[in-house]
Amino acid sequence: MSRIAVTPMTTFAPHIDEAQAYLDKVIASLHALDRREKQPLIGILEYLSQYISSTRGEVAALRTTVADPVALSQASDELEEIVTETANATNTIMSVAEDIEALSRTVDDPLAGSLLVAATRIYEACAFQDVTGQRITKVVRAVQHIDQKIGLLAGLCGTGSASSAATIKEVARSGDQALLNGPQLAATAQTQDDIDRLFGN
Amino acid sequence: MAVDKKMPIMIVDDYNTMLRIMKNLLRQLDFENIEEASDGSAALQKLKSGHFGLVISDWNMQPVTGLDLLRSVRADAQLKHLPFIMVTAESKTENVITAKQAGVSNYIVKPFTADTLKTKMESVLGPF
Repeated sequence: MSRIAVTPMTTFAPHIDEAQAYLDKVIASLHALDRREKQPLIGILEYLSQYISSTRGEVAALRTTVADPVALSQASDELEEIVTETANATNTIMSVAEDIEALSRTVDDPLAGSLLVAATRIYEACAFQDVTGQRITKVVRAVQHIDQKIGLLAGLCGTGSASSAATIKEVARSGDQALLNGPQLAATAQTQDDIDRLFGN
Repeated sequence: MAVDKKMPIMIVDDYNTMLRIMKNLLRQLDFENIEEASDGSAALQKLKSGHFGLVISDWNMQPVTGLDLLRSVRADAQLKHLPFIMVTAESKTENVITAKQAGVSNYIVKPFTADTLKTKMESVLGPF
């Protein structure tokens, strides 16, 4: 009976490039066998080898173009800068609204009333900074998550740092943590009236 | 009974802008005695050392959330009856139900108007 002339792998969990090299050796050995029934197995193994090769190529391309870690990190920084700049601008607007409110106390009605209403509407509008800040923070976390996942995939495919892949742990949120989701999208978010109905107001 | 507008009110939010907005809106309603905290832990310390008449708190804060603060307040013999309004962008049904089960007095979803704030405060404290 013919035997495959390939040395058994010594590591239980080889790196993907080692596994692919081993697979190619197995395929070469199978080709050398004089057995007709080898053909379906060779076909499957060759398909697997090609699939691994193309996946590694795609991930490598993804890492250097779309998901470049430097670009993703910069994107996160830019988004965080937006939050900071928006907060600064909002504080300036708030200061002006406070000046308008103070001014309303130095004049008579109806101008005083109009100025107070205007200041109040500005205060209400400035709450956007809190909501948009929370939305941007969600996007920053999503970008960082994508960066980690691409890094993990690149590590597994032998096209990036394997060590970084080993440190990434999926943290499933449960209990109270699962309730921290920030603002919902306007199309699906519940309104104050919805909340009031739930609350029995 | 008339609402005492001199009573201390604790406002809790990790966004300084929100604290500033809330403080201005409360001042317009003639509530001037306002204390601020930027998370649940700091708020609880201040609540234990004062005689507050109302807490208005955000939910999504770290490390101690508004929900944690609410539960701590309700578990404290001295504070358990303190009116507590949650003001948050968390508007999912499960959030509202969880807050209600934890003993929240009322719930305002961000962004909100000055009228909504007044209405919810009146539903908790009585008309003013």
